[in-house]
Amino acid sequence: MMNRVLEKGVTGFSWICAMVLLGTVSCIVGYLLIKGLGTINITLIFGETDPMDALFFRKQVFDGLFPAILGTFALVALSVSFAIPIGLAAGIYMAEYCRGIVKRVFSLFFDILAGIPSIVVGLFGFSVAIFLHNYFSSRIYPCLLISALSLAFLVLPYLIRTTQVSLENLPEDIRRTAPALGATKLQNIFHVLIPRSLSGIASGVILSIGRCAEDTAVIMLTGVVATAGVPKSVFSNYEALPFYIYYISSQYSNKQKLLSGYGAAIILLVICGLLFAIAFFIKHRLTYHVLYKP
Amino acid sequence: MKRASCLAWIFVFMMAGNLSAFAGNLDLFEGMKGTLRIAGGTAHIPVMKEAAKRIMTFNGDIQIIIAGGGSGVGIKQVGEGLVDIGNSGRKPTDKEINKYQLKMFKWAIDGVGVVVNPGNKVKALSKAQLIDIFSGKINNWKSIGGVDKPINVYTRDKASGTRAVFWKKALDKGEITAKANFVVSNGAMKSAISSDPYAIGYVSVGYIDESVAPVALGGVVPTLENVKQGKYQIARGLYSNTKGEPSGLTKKFIDFIFSPEGQKIASEKGFIPVQ
Amino acid sequence: MKLIDRSIEKFFWIAAVLSLSITVLIFGFMVILGFPLFKGGQFFELLSQPWLPDYGTYGIYPMIVGTLSISLIGLVFAFPLSLGCSAFISVLGPKRFGRVLKKIVQMMTGIPTVIYGFVGIFLLVPIIRELFEHGSGMCILSASILLAILISPTMILFFSDSFDQVPKPFLDAVDALGGNKAQKILYVILPYSLRGVITGLILALGRAMGDTMIALMIAGNAVAIPDSVLDSTRTLTAHIALIIAADFESLEFKTLFACGIILYLFTTFITLSVRSFDLMPWRRK
Repeated sequence: MMNRVLEKGVTGFSWICAMVLLGTVSCIVGYLLIKGLGTINITLIFGETDPMDALFFRKQVFDGLFPAILGTFALVALSVSFAIPIGLAAGIYMAEYCRGIVKRVFSLFFDILAGIPSIVVGLFGFSVAIFLHNYFSSRIYPCLLISALSLAFLVLPYLIRTTQVSLENLPEDIRRTAPALGATKLQNIFHVLIPRSLSGIASGVILSIGRCAEDTAVIMLTGVVATAGVPKSVFSNYEALPFYIYYISSQYSNKQKLLSGYGAAIILLVICGLLFAIAFFIKHRLTYHVLYKP
Repeated sequence: MKRASCLAWIFVFMMAGNLSAFAGNLDLFEGMKGTLRIAGGTAHIPVMKEAAKRIMTFNGDIQIIIAGGGSGVGIKQVGEGLVDIGNSGRKPTDKEINKYQLKMFKWAIDGVGVVVNPGNKVKALSKAQLIDIFSGKINNWKSIGGVDKPINVYTRDKASGTRAVFWKKALDKGEITAKANFVVSNGAMKSAISSDPYAIGYVSVGYIDESVAPVALGGVVPTLENVKQGKYQIARGLYSNTKGEPSGLTKKFIDFIFSPEGQKIASEKGFIPVQ
Repeated sequence: MKLIDRSIEKFFWIAAVLSLSITVLIFGFMVILGFPLFKGGQFFELLSQPWLPDYGTYGIYPMIVGTLSISLIGLVFAFPLSLGCSAFISVLGPKRFGRVLKKIVQMMTGIPTVIYGFVGIFLLVPIIRELFEHGSGMCILSASILLAILISPTMILFFSDSFDQVPKPFLDAVDALGGNKAQKILYVILPYSLRGVITGLILALGRAMGDTMIALMIAGNAVAIPDSVLDSTRTLTAHIALIIAADFESLEFKTLFACGIILYLFTTFITLSVRSFDLMPWRRK
């Protein structure tokens, strides 16, 4: 009898949980959309500057999201361009070259790196910047480059891991065919193994891009500021969307500014959502395209 | 004939003079290039932003970067050479001035006012009441004539010049309860107070608008007028500090802040210009 | 040709060593920069003292309490929710609905943290403030609710993965005995995937402790040791974000490295304990 009640309760409970979760997500997204959709227009992004002037950097944009959006893109591009070569190379090393105790040690350290809170990585980036400023060149201070490097450290373990796992998951026969035909190990890796595991690697890359785009804790320690305009060099401070959202949430000066925060949140949500959708799409489709549609 | 042409020339000169006065003092930045980095005091930010906007609109080759952080940060960062101008809402201490060879530029007078939510009935406090509220001894609005709700105290961190001035001049260096919520800037204080109906905090007088209600302290309301006339005692200067004698773009920027146009911006943003 | 091959392979190795050294370097930097704290034996004093900058005491005990209370209470909310949802996805719910829910949960992992914080400030905080009439609404409760929403998706996906690991014959046996879905999850799946559930819980704890934005935006950042869940508090992570701007040479600033070291050690400990199960999610096939 008791068991009956328990069993009924379990089913009911799981329904409630599912509904609570769905309800919460729709509340969060719905609230944003209701409050913010109306603010999304050309003025939100470009302020009073003519969009064409802004896009060609002829004039600076004030009171618009353009510098923040551009800053986020610059930041993401820079950090993945650091992280991808290193991450993929290390992933290939882990999957194809590393064996035994060395492999265990390496993967332990990558797991630890993956677990480190982003703010600690940010603190590290900040300390490195100050260290370089004091002992190396007074022209270095927390800036776009430092942020990008710190973010690269943050996503490295994800890239290494997705690369390693996608390579290791390949069936043995695929792995053995090319060497049997006389291919070298590297030829096998570049011409057989990587193309075969591209979907896994690519979705890892895209998820890392999403991680770079959304992170706030690292960049707020390493050079993002509220007002910088479009960054002119990698040694310059910059603006970024997630920081803008944080900044507005605590210190909006008027209703108008607060609304622009909602707008920025929707834009960021759309960017991250798109990246996520692409990652899923690629996971399902890319293999097909790469292998069967040359 | 000669006289007429002379008059005409005078006329042209006068027009030119008028025009340049009209275009403001932005001519300073003609042909300049480069990046100017400003950090520190958060009370200064609206003025800095407006000045930066005008300068960058006038000359797109100049980039001005503005960060907050608080007065302590401004002084420290300019001293370490991390920024070109470090703002502070308090006078740098002699120790700081000597350590970093700071040059101070006081370009406006400001006050620090106690603020509550506009819906709050309490609009006046005695100094003793204020000290008790911030130390946590008085913790319900009811005991000072408000609704029966707990008081939510908001404060700033140690790097804040606003906090330093408020703590010294309004609280007589009394304790601030550890239960107080922390906010990171004058702007954040204003938005926190305006969204929390049971809040109390302190903010630069220049920031006070209809979204928060000023509280009279000992019968004097913290307004620009009262600060100007010296009736409201919790006043302070707004400083921009440089490491050593400023030069180049830094000097131009400071000159601009002291120019009629710069001083007008300060006054528009709710501060009392020094000139 | 041989040389090129060699140098490419060398590059793979260098990349791996470089990544490994970053892990070490981060810790090394914290310890070296926080070294003055160790020299005077202050490090352990800091762990037990309050934060009273006006009196020159820079203890981080309140922040440790803050971190633990927000993340543990967050887990208390998130754990049953995740367990229920993953049971729904794997077994209990209608198949189609379960799949849709899983897709939504996957999408949720992509929502930026700062957006949870942003909505939290304007939606949740006023509700909590009016509902409980205690404090500003920026408190442990609000922060841990949002944190629960933040960490649930990863936990749900992890749980439902380990539920799917249960060998099919086990499930068929339940069907053959005429058992229903609820019995399947209670008597077969849960006991079988207990290790997976514990692992997921530990991973989620690590994620919760490492989060900065939710605590920074929602918890109010007071430095008192909280008496109730409606009190405002400050976490180690938020503390780093708030004090980062302080004078680099001050003791105040040095305590940041103490926070950093504690967070680093704690998350490393979590990684190690998960590994001791050898159940890191990406290692299971």
